[in-house]
Amino acid sequence: MMTLNKTRFAAGLAAITLMLLVTACAGPESGKADASGKVDYTKMSAKELGEYLIFESNSFRLDMPTQEGTTARERMMQDDLQMLCSQTRNQPSPEQAGRIIAEARASMKYPEGGIQLGDWQRGGNLAWGGFGFRLADQSDDHSRRAADGACYNCHALSPQRTGGSLGPSLTGYGKSRGDSEATRRFIYEMIYNPHAYFPCTNMPRMGYKGVLNEQAIADIMAYLLHPDSPVNK
Amino acid sequence: MRVLLLPILLACLGAGLVLAQPAPVPEEGADSIADYRRMLREGNPGELWVARGQQLFHAPRGPNAVSLEACDLGLGAGVLDGAYAALPRYFEDAGRVQDLESRLVHCMVNLQGFDRAQLLQDAFSTGERESDMEALAVYVASRSNGMPLDVQLEHPRELELYRIGETLFHRRSGPLDMSCATCHSRESRRIRLQTLMNINSPVQVREVMGSWPTYRVSHGTVRTLQHRMWDCHWQMRLPDVEYVSDATVALILYLTEQGRGGVIDVPSIRR
Ligand code: HEC
Ligand code: HEC
Repeated sequence: MMTLNKTRFAAGLAAITLMLLVTACAGPESGKADASGKVDYTKMSAKELGEYLIFESNSFRLDMPTQEGTTARERMMQDDLQMLCSQTRNQPSPEQAGRIIAEARASMKYPEGGIQLGDWQRGGNLAWGGFGFRLADQSDDHSRRAADGACYNCHALSPQRTGGSLGPSLTGYGKSRGDSEATRRFIYEMIYNPHAYFPCTNMPRMGYKGVLNEQAIADIMAYLLHPDSPVNK
Repeated sequence: MRVLLLPILLACLGAGLVLAQPAPVPEEGADSIADYRRMLREGNPGELWVARGQQLFHAPRGPNAVSLEACDLGLGAGVLDGAYAALPRYFEDAGRVQDLESRLVHCMVNLQGFDRAQLLQDAFSTGERESDMEALAVYVASRSNGMPLDVQLEHPRELELYRIGETLFHRRSGPLDMSCATCHSRESRRIRLQTLMNINSPVQVREVMGSWPTYRVSHGTVRTLQHRMWDCHWQMRLPDVEYVSDATVALILYLTEQGRGGVIDVPSIRR
């Protein structure tokens, strides 16, 4: 994967001894996106370097307020799962995978009255919408409406519209799987925390991370399972 | 003037836009291919930005009323041909690794006397305001047209930033657990109709990296790699990444090295 050749890397490593000098002599570059000149990065691993750069180099607007009431700094911090999946490039060892699955199972929270289907029409809007959690000068305003599920980014859903292909097609999902207790539980858990089935999957943990609330999950499930939903037509 | 001109140009281009990304063509008939590419470029509104960038670059500007002709983009003061092909690189006078846009900011501040904060704020065109930086960047990049991407990656700071870029590319975070690799590490994956560059496909990365800055039809302006970095972070629900920050330069260096050998051909044109 690395296109860097060995000699270059060796040269780079040999040059590390020079680094103290280099960094000490680093010239001034004024402005806010600037702190790198003063630190000896080379004593750190690539990961430590990355962390340093994210939190100390003014590369990100870490003070932006977020919809969840924190600052963007918290968004850049990794939890254990994110860290492990990043480190292993989403290929956890069998032992790590076992731990991820167990932790994901333990994270599940279910609705009080059991897993029910909501309104498939509302679910369709949530599945096809990209609103929510975006930060900018005009960040998505969650007091106006709740976040969408953005399932369409990764999945084909109804045959009438083009969805993404980062995940498997969910077209005809209810028709092929049927609306059993087991199917409902599986989809619910996939939306809540899919690492229970696919450790280090690319699919977000939308229940666990609070992106979608119970009602939204129920509506999206109806969109996937209800016989009248365009997904199953 | 552009307000009037653009729709007309676009209307004239019409279906031509669809053809604007030529399929890889065989070696033979190199001349006709060059002709074809030139033709496409001539129909590309981005050429207006190249022309404006050329004018901006060579005109005396800023509080110091000097041109950018004394700007050293890595090959010596005033050398433009081929300079972009070897960026990002470490610059002694700045004490840091800089990409095309960081270097232009550096020169505009240090030679022309522009205010750095203002330059950063005005870097991307908005509906109301046209960016000079986009024009300058695409002009300088176009002076490497036909040359392969060839970053140096020899200075320890360059190697270090490359490693950071690689790490950042694969670092998952945020409410959607996303890293760049979430969307950019599989073959032929789409977000709806947009095909996503696969970092593991050297052919694709070469093609992509050789073709920025690009004229974005949906934005009605030329966009740069810095803008693409900002855009993708926004999609990931991460905080705004600062213009010409170390994080952006690290990612651009990583991507450019992955795209080594890609032939520069700008401005390209995109949706
Ligand atoms: C970032 C991409 C992404 C998003 C967004 C996403 N998914 Fe997924 N999804 C995946 C991937 C990838 C898989 C396959 C699991 C794997 O191999 O990692 C998957 C699998 C699934 C499955 C299991 C399919 C099966 O095998 O039976 C369901 C159900 C599902 N997703 C539903 C959803 C719903 C509903 C949403 C929106 C709330 C959603 N997904 C959003 C990427 C995504
Ligand atoms: C949620 C999915 C997603 C994530 C995550 C993402 N991108 Fe992108 N990226 C896109 C889309 C969509 C495009 C536009 C593709 C198009 O226009 O055809 C794109 C385009 C690009 C391009 C230009 C590709 C081209 O064809 O010209 C680059 C370079 C890029 N992204 C880099 C990154 C980097 C670096 C990161 C991490 C900081 C990242 N992306 C994260 C979705 C994503």
